[in-house]
Amino acid sequence: MKKLLSFALACLMILSCVALAACGKKEAKLSATQEIIKQAQSMTLEELAKKAIEESNGKTFYGVGNSSRGKSALPLFIEYLQSIDSSYTMEFEWQQPKNNKIFDQLTADSKKATGTFAMTLIQDGNQIESKMVQTGVLDTFIPKDWADANGVKADEYEGYLALQTLNKVFMFNSTGSKTYTNVWDFVAEGEHGLYMDIDSELVGKNFLYMLTKDEYAKGLKEAYDALPAAKKSYIDTAVAAVESDAKDFGLGENGKYALAWIKLWVESYNAQTDDGPICNTLVDKSATDQFGLLVYSKLRSVTESESVSKNNVKVAAYEDGYTGFGGYGYCHYLFVTDNSPLPWTACAFIAYMTCTVDGFSAWGKDIGGYSSNPTVAAGTEEKYHHSTSGNKEDGTYPVLNDRGFSWWKDRLIIEDPEYCASVAFTVGSWIELLTKYKG
Amino acid sequence: MTTNLNMPRQKASSFRIGRNKLFTFLSQPYNIILIVLGVLCTITTVAPIIAILEDTFKIHPGTIDQYLTGKTEGFSLANYTDLFTSPLAKTNLWTPLGNTLIISFFACVAAILFGGLFAFLVTRTNMKCKKYLSSIFIFPYIMPQWTLALVWRNLFNSNAVTGTSDGLLASLFGIHMPLWWCQGIFPCIMVLGMHYSAFAYILIGGIFRNMDANLEEAATILNTPKWRIVTRITLPMVKPAILSTVLLVFGSSMGSYPVPHYLKLSTLSTKYLEMNDKYAGEASILAVIMMVIGVLIMVLNQRSLKSRKNYTTVTGKSGQISKINLGKVGKWVIAIILIIATFMTSIYPLISFAFETFLPNPGDYSFLRTWDPSNLTAKWWLTSENVTENGLYGQMGMLYNKTIWSAYGGTIFLSIMCALFAGTLGTLIGYAVSKKRRNRFANYVNNIAFLPYLMPSVAVGIAFFILLATNEKISLYNTYTLLIIVGTVKYIPFASRASLNSMLQLSGEIEESAIIQNVPWFKRMFRIIIPIQKSSILSGFLLPFITCMRELSLFMLLCVQGFIMSTTMDYFDEMGLAAFSSGMNLILIVTILIFNGIINKVTGASLDKGIGG
Repeated sequence: MKKLLSFALACLMILSCVALAACGKKEAKLSATQEIIKQAQSMTLEELAKKAIEESNGKTFYGVGNSSRGKSALPLFIEYLQSIDSSYTMEFEWQQPKNNKIFDQLTADSKKATGTFAMTLIQDGNQIESKMVQTGVLDTFIPKDWADANGVKADEYEGYLALQTLNKVFMFNSTGSKTYTNVWDFVAEGEHGLYMDIDSELVGKNFLYMLTKDEYAKGLKEAYDALPAAKKSYIDTAVAAVESDAKDFGLGENGKYALAWIKLWVESYNAQTDDGPICNTLVDKSATDQFGLLVYSKLRSVTESESVSKNNVKVAAYEDGYTGFGGYGYCHYLFVTDNSPLPWTACAFIAYMTCTVDGFSAWGKDIGGYSSNPTVAAGTEEKYHHSTSGNKEDGTYPVLNDRGFSWWKDRLIIEDPEYCASVAFTVGSWIELLTKYKG
Repeated sequence: MTTNLNMPRQKASSFRIGRNKLFTFLSQPYNIILIVLGVLCTITTVAPIIAILEDTFKIHPGTIDQYLTGKTEGFSLANYTDLFTSPLAKTNLWTPLGNTLIISFFACVAAILFGGLFAFLVTRTNMKCKKYLSSIFIFPYIMPQWTLALVWRNLFNSNAVTGTSDGLLASLFGIHMPLWWCQGIFPCIMVLGMHYSAFAYILIGGIFRNMDANLEEAATILNTPKWRIVTRITLPMVKPAILSTVLLVFGSSMGSYPVPHYLKLSTLSTKYLEMNDKYAGEASILAVIMMVIGVLIMVLNQRSLKSRKNYTTVTGKSGQISKINLGKVGKWVIAIILIIATFMTSIYPLISFAFETFLPNPGDYSFLRTWDPSNLTAKWWLTSENVTENGLYGQMGMLYNKTIWSAYGGTIFLSIMCALFAGTLGTLIGYAVSKKRRNRFANYVNNIAFLPYLMPSVAVGIAFFILLATNEKISLYNTYTLLIIVGTVKYIPFASRASLNSMLQLSGEIEESAIIQNVPWFKRMFRIIIPIQKSSILSGFLLPFITCMRELSLFMLLCVQGFIMSTTMDYFDEMGLAAFSSGMNLILIVTILIFNGIINKVTGASLDKGIGG
C-alpha cells in the first residue's frame, strides 16, 4: 500500500512539474509582434490585407532581403491592396545588402524599440538559427492559407516559413565525350568543378555541412558502392584519411564518406565569384568536359551565338543512370522582425508572396525556384510551363525543361538550419582547415 | 593689510589678462579653425578606432566567440587567442598578412618605377608628345581600381589554365599564360602598380616640376656626365618625395579589396569579408592590424617629412631648367614606346569595355572569329522591358535601367558633397596649419587629419560601419549622410595637403598688408589667398571628387547595391553581367574626364598637376 501510495505521489509530483512547466511555457510573455502574429496566423489573406490597409495606408514600408526581387513583389502587393481599397497608397524601399551584412543590419535594427525593417527575406539557415532566431531578432509567421495548402496547422508548425527552395545543380559541358554518371565523379582525381567559393556564399558551406547528416551520408555511401573498383581506390585513400575525424565529430557510420567527399571537393573545386560567370564559362564550346555546381536558373540568360549555346551543357541528374545527389537546395525564408513597425502589413505581404501565384511571380517566372506552397507551385507551373520551357522559338533546349520540385527533392541535399548550426564549429572548422585548390 | 586689499585687484587683473589673451587668441580665425577642426578630426578619427577595438573584444552571437566562451554577450579575449593560436592562424592571419605586405611593397616599387620614370621623362627630358602622354597616363588612376584587374583577367585567363572562359588572347590566338601570371601575387602587384603609377607620377612629377635646377646647372657647367647628375643630384633631391609616395601607395594598396578579390589572392581585406560571418570579432582584429600598419606608416611618413628639411625643393626658381636631350631619334622612340604602353593601360581598357557591351554573352568573342554582325548585340543598352531570357537576369538595358541611373545620380551627389566638405575643411586646415607651422597643436591637427588617408579604405569602412551603421542609437546604414561623413574624413588629406603646400609658398606679408588695411578675414580669404592659389586649392577639391566617383573599398560595407555606381558595378560584375559593369565604367570615366576638362578650362586646375600644385 505504501509503495502504491509513494508511486502515486511520485506520479503526481511529476505531473505537477510537467503542468507547471507547461504553464510556464504558456505564460512566457509574447512580444507585441508575436501577439499580432498569433492572431494573424488564423486569418485569411483577405482579412490580413484589410488589417494591412488600416495599418500602412500612406506610410513607407522597409524590407530587407538577400533577393533583389522583393522589390518587384512589393508593387504587385500594393496593387493587390488597392484592389480591395482603391484609395490605398504605400511607399516602399527594398534593400539588398552585400557581404553578409544583412545579419549585422537586422541585429542593429533589432536594438531599437521600433525597427526600420518590417520584414525580411533571408537565406543561410545556419546563421538565421544562431544569429536571428535564437536571439529573438526575427519571428516566424505561418500564413493560414499556406498551412492549409501544406496540410499543417499554423500554430503547431515548427520550423521557418520558406518562400521557395532554390536548387544548385551539377551541370557539365557536353561538347566532348566525357560524362558524369556518379556524384563521386565530380571529385575524381584531376577534376576541378567550377563553384562559388564557400567563403563568398555561405549556403554553399551549409550544403557541405548537410552532407554529414545521416540520410545524406548514406546516399553518398550508396553512390560509392555503385562505383567500379577502379574508381574506388582514389576515394578509399580519402575515406581512410578522414575516418578518425568522422569519429571525433560523432558522425554516423557513413560520416566518413561524407567527410571524404567534402575533402576531395574543397581541395579540388575552382572558386568563382558568382554563378553567372560559371554559367558563362560552361555554355561556351571552349569549356569541353568542364563542369560546375551552380544555380539552375542561370541558364535562362544564355544567348545563342557561334560559340555559346544552352545545348552545350547538360544537367547531370537528368542523365540516365546517374547515381547520387544532383545538387543542393537552399531556401529563401520569410520572417517578421520582432520590432516591426508594420507587423500586419508584413504578415499580409508574406501571405501574399507565399499564397498567391501573382505574389510569387517575381521568382516563379524563372526555372529553378520552387514555391513552398504546393498550390502556388502548381499554379506557377500552369502559368509559366517550366517543364516544357526548353521549347523555344529559336530551337529546342532540353536542359531548360525543369522537372519541378517533386522530382528534385529526392535528388537534392536540402538545407536544415538546425543541423547546420549544430555542426558549424565542428565540421565547419574542419572544412576551414582543408587546403583549397589554387589552380 | 595692503597685501590683502590688493589680492582681489590682482585676481581681477590676472582674470582680465587671461580673458584678453583668450580674446586675442580667438580673434585669430586660424586659431578657431584649429580648435574646431582639431576636435572634429579627433572625434571622426578616434571614435571609429575605439569602436572597432571594442568589437574585437565583444562576443557576437552565432560566431566563434560564442562557441568558445559559451556566452551570447559580454567581452572576452577569445577572438585574440583564437586568431593568433588556433590551427587556422596561418590561413586566417599570417598568409593574408604576408600577401598584403608583399603586394603593398612591390606595388610601391612598380608604381615608383612606372610613375617616377614617366614623371622624369615628362619633366626633365625633351621627349615628344608630353602633353598627350601626361593626360593619358593618369587614366588608370581615374578608373575604378578593379578595372585593370578585370582587363587583366579578360585578357589572360584561359580555359586550359584558369579553368574559366577563354580570355581574348586564348580565344583569338591560343595564347595560354601561366597561372602565376593570371592569378595571385604577380598580377595584383602589376595592376596596383599600374593604378598607382599615375599617383606616383602626380606626386613625383610635381616635385620634378618645382625642383630648383641650380645644382644641376652647376654640375653641367662643371662638365659632370648626365648619368652622374641624375644619380648624385636629381635622385637625392627627390628622394623624400619618392619615400612619401611609397608610403602613400603602400597604405592605399594595403586597403585594396577588389584587386586581390578578382585576381584571387588572400589578403587582409579579402579575408575580413570571408571571416565576418563566423569570426566577426577576429575579422575586426584584421581591420585593427591594417590600422596599426597605417599608423606605423604615418610615423614613417613623419620621419620622412622631417628629413625633407635637408632637401629644399621649392625655392626661388632658376630661370632655366636643364633638360636631358634624348637625341633626335631617342625622343621619338621613347615617346612611341610610352604611347604604346599607355595605350594598353589607358585606351585598351576603354575599347575593351565598349566592346564588351556589344557581346552576346560575357566573354563571348564569336564576332572576332567570324566577323558576323549577328554575333554582336545592342541588348545590353537598349532592352526596354523586364525580360529574363535575354541574358539580362531580369534587368533592363543600361539606357533604361533605373538602378544604374539612380546609382549614377547618387555617385555624382556623393562626390560633389565629399569634394565640397573635404575640400573646404582640408583647405581650412592647410591654411590654419601654415599660419602656425611651428605650433604643436597645429602639427597634431595636421597629422590627425592626414591619418585616415594612411589607413586602408576597407578598415576605415569597417570602423564606420561598426560605429554608425550597426549602432542601436545611430543607424545611418545606406544613407548619403554616412557616406558623406566617411568620404569627407577619408579625403580631407587630399585637400589639406594641397592647401598646406600652397599656403606655405605664400608669403605672410600678403595677408599682413590686408590685415593692416583692416580687411576682414572672409574677404582676405576670398579676394586674396584663394585666388592666388586657386589652382592648387581646386586640386584639393578635384581629387576627392574623382576618387569618390570610383571608390568601392571604402563604401562597399556602408550601403546596398544600387546606391552608388561602384557598388552597383561590383554587383553586376559579380553576378555575371560584365557588359553592365563595363558600360558603367565607361559612363564613369567619361563623366570624370568631362568634369576634369571643365575644371581645367575654367580654373586651370587639373588632376595631372596634382597634389601640392
